[in-house]
Amino acid sequence: MIILSIIIGCLIGVILGVFAPTISYVYTDYLAISIVAALDSVFGGIVATLKNNFNFKVFVSGFFGNAILSILLTLLGNKLDVDIYLAAIVVFVGRMFNNLTIIRRHYLEKWEESKNKNQTKTEEQKN
Amino acid sequence: MKDKIQIAISIGLMCVLLTGAIVVQLNTIEKGAQIVGTTYAEQSLKDAVLRWKENYENIYDTLEKTKNELERVRQDTTKENDESAELEEKLSNANKLLGLTELTGTGVIVTLADNDTINMALVGNVNDYVVHDGDLMEVVNELKNAGAEAISINGQRITSITAISCQGTVITVNGEKINSPFIIKAIGNSESLSAISRPGGYIEWLQSKNYVITSIEKSNNVTVEKYNGVISSKYMKNVQ
Repeated sequence: MIILSIIIGCLIGVILGVFAPTISYVYTDYLAISIVAALDSVFGGIVATLKNNFNFKVFVSGFFGNAILSILLTLLGNKLDVDIYLAAIVVFVGRMFNNLTIIRRHYLEKWEESKNKNQTKTEEQKN
Repeated sequence: MKDKIQIAISIGLMCVLLTGAIVVQLNTIEKGAQIVGTTYAEQSLKDAVLRWKENYENIYDTLEKTKNELERVRQDTTKENDESAELEEKLSNANKLLGLTELTGTGVIVTLADNDTINMALVGNVNDYVVHDGDLMEVVNELKNAGAEAISINGQRITSITAISCQGTVITVNGEKINSPFIIKAIGNSESLSAISRPGGYIEWLQSKNYVITSIEKSNNVTVEKYNGVISSKYMKNVQ
């Protein structure tokens, strides 16, 4: 269900993106950082769904809050001539890896469980 | 179940935003990536160039809009008054001669291009096969001699203050860099203008030596661009 919605969402996004006008080159830095923030939020949302504590308000506020904060940090970094956006990228990407680990473990455990179940089933049938 | 639908829809919507943003970003970067830099310094220079270019285009757009507005206001105010209408006509004629308006009419389109068909290793002097500022000056002069009323090279109008000069690997006209192929558009009697390919003329000499690639094309509908700069005078004074 969720995987289906992700696929459909991505397809619609690509179609919209192809027909959308390109933005001014000045803003590419900010869009790039907000893309990373959004990617992090989507991963976070998937993990929350797996853990059964998904909260719509937390998800949406996290999505926009993270994106806006990272854009502001980039802006500040540009003004101060320090690459502050690197810090934001480190945090987001680090979290993305953490979340990916959780997702991976969840499905691996599920897979092993079902394998064990099948084994016990076949053993029971044999007996 | 209802929860799951809500989750699916919200994550789906986020994916729409996310992929849309990624595609827009890719398109933008691809558009800006025509100038390729390898080092960090080059990269930031490239960024700076793109920013200035965008800035320039925005300001140029505003200028164009303002000019159109001015033209409209001028026409509105001179509509009812005969005397000012006459002045307006004089003004527009003067602007035409100065090169401040885009013009169209019969004429020729002369193209000069670097000869890239030759083998660099076999020729004596590669410089012979490249279009120089002198070539452009000769052709412009011949066109004027043949009665051209308005001339432009690659969109740069030849005005009374225009200089064609050599700047190393590029040629500048009106201070703007232009590159091969050089498309010289001239308005005038297309029969007499096309006669610059006459035997003994400069074009014929270029062709006979196979130095640069040339072509002359007659047209009933040549559009000569206007001069984009400002013609100002500082030292000229009327004789008392």
